Amino acid sequence: MNLVLALLAAAHLNVFGASSLSEVLPRLDRTARYQFAGSDQLAFQIREGAPADLFLAASPKYPRELYAQHRCSKPVTFATNTVVLVVPRANPARIRSVYDLRRDGIRLVVGAKGVPIGDYTRRLLANLGLTSVLSNVVSEEDDVKLVVAKVALGEADGGFVYRTDVRSVGNRVLRIALPAAAQPTVQYDACVPTASKRQAAARAFLRRLLGPAGRASLRRAGFRVP
Amino acid sequence: MRAAFAVCAAAAVSFLALPVVAIFLRVPPETLVAQLTEPAARDALLVSLKTNAIAQALVLAIGTPAAYLLAANRFRGRSLVLTLVELPLVLPPAVAGIGLLAAFGRTGLLSTSAAFTQTAVVLAVAFVASPFYVRTAVAAFEAVDATVVDAARTLGARPWRVFARVALPLAAGGLGAGAVLAFARGLGEFGATIMFAGSLQGATQTLPLAIYAQFERDFDVALALGALLVAFSFTLLLAVKWLRSTSTSTFHFAISTSA
Repeated sequence: MNLVLALLAAAHLNVFGASSLSEVLPRLDRTARYQFAGSDQLAFQIREGAPADLFLAASPKYPRELYAQHRCSKPVTFATNTVVLVVPRANPARIRSVYDLRRDGIRLVVGAKGVPIGDYTRRLLANLGLTSVLSNVVSEEDDVKLVVAKVALGEADGGFVYRTDVRSVGNRVLRIALPAAAQPTVQYDACVPTASKRQAAARAFLRRLLGPAGRASLRRAGFRVP
Repeated sequence: MRAAFAVCAAAAVSFLALPVVAIFLRVPPETLVAQLTEPAARDALLVSLKTNAIAQALVLAIGTPAAYLLAANRFRGRSLVLTLVELPLVLPPAVAGIGLLAAFGRTGLLSTSAAFTQTAVVLAVAFVASPFYVRTAVAAFEAVDATVVDAARTLGARPWRVFARVALPLAAGGLGAGAVLAFARGLGEFGATIMFAGSLQGATQTLPLAIYAQFERDFDVALALGALLVAFSFTLLLAVKWLRSTSTSTFHFAISTSA
């Protein structure tokens, strides 16, 4: 039984990726097994012993923490992103700019604190002097795709997501530009968990991601590459 | 032979008890109690109590007459209606969540603005918990001795009086047990709530949602809330047993004596 499980597991590389990478990674490599979730949740699972071979986070924070605890290799940056405001295509709250979010009764959905998109959203609002709009938040979601879904469904009036998230739901949401000066640095870092038994394969995947093929895929998906 | 049965029984009981015991062993009791004063824990407790109280009141107020009607009448399509009432018992909570969104969401069938409010929590709780009450209540009313009801009627009692003074008191034990079961299920509601009501501390974040939100941030708070729910549920189930034993009428959960 254990041998069968080991063989089954050995055939695939377990890649733990931030939700915002859920479209681009399978296109780059179809053979790996992916688990997509909030980066904070993935880091928690890795600390609790989940069999991750590669950790691709939407923030430098969690790979750095794991590295400091000797639980993963030295993090490398492989992409950057920007935060955008999306509203349902019908735009029921008639939001034209981020400043409209101050109006009472707006239903805003954001990432929870600790989830990368949640932390970036709070930083962005602080940069804009708009932290008061957080009083219009009706739900705090555990990863960015849940924010996307609630806006695309038309249940929320607006939500902060990554630029790259808009592509998959482009026909259901409108993107509202944000002042570039207020953008937080959205940086994607990767590391190989020290507990992984497939270090070589994980490093090969990472090399591919950092190489021309990976860079091209990331760029096509709307990421910027360093 | 006997020993084999005993081993199976011991295995089953310890398998079921182990995770529950583990919650209490992982953190000492005084720490558990201290964690409950955390703002996230306190808010979740208040949200859970408020939304469940309202949902329960609705379930009892609407479910009791509905169950009485279903128990007293035989009509075409009755088993269909009973099956519909039972459906949320076995429906995956995620299905309940998208169903509620499709029905009560802003772009849904009735296009209400309930999503992401405490109303949404109440609706989610009522949806998943009410079958526990209604199904038990139907069985409890069915178990009321028909000759007693007939006697009241022939003595000239009007239908309302028969219901209020005869059927209701005789079914009270079963109704109480059903209400407690529904309350226990409602307190634990998670899937439908997180999809339909979202999760916001102090507004829609109930105890189970707070456990989920806290488990990677502050495991001790998650454990403390878990321990609280275990204690609640255990007490409620004990109450069901007590209500059943004091019940004047026997009833069978989720089994209709005649369909």
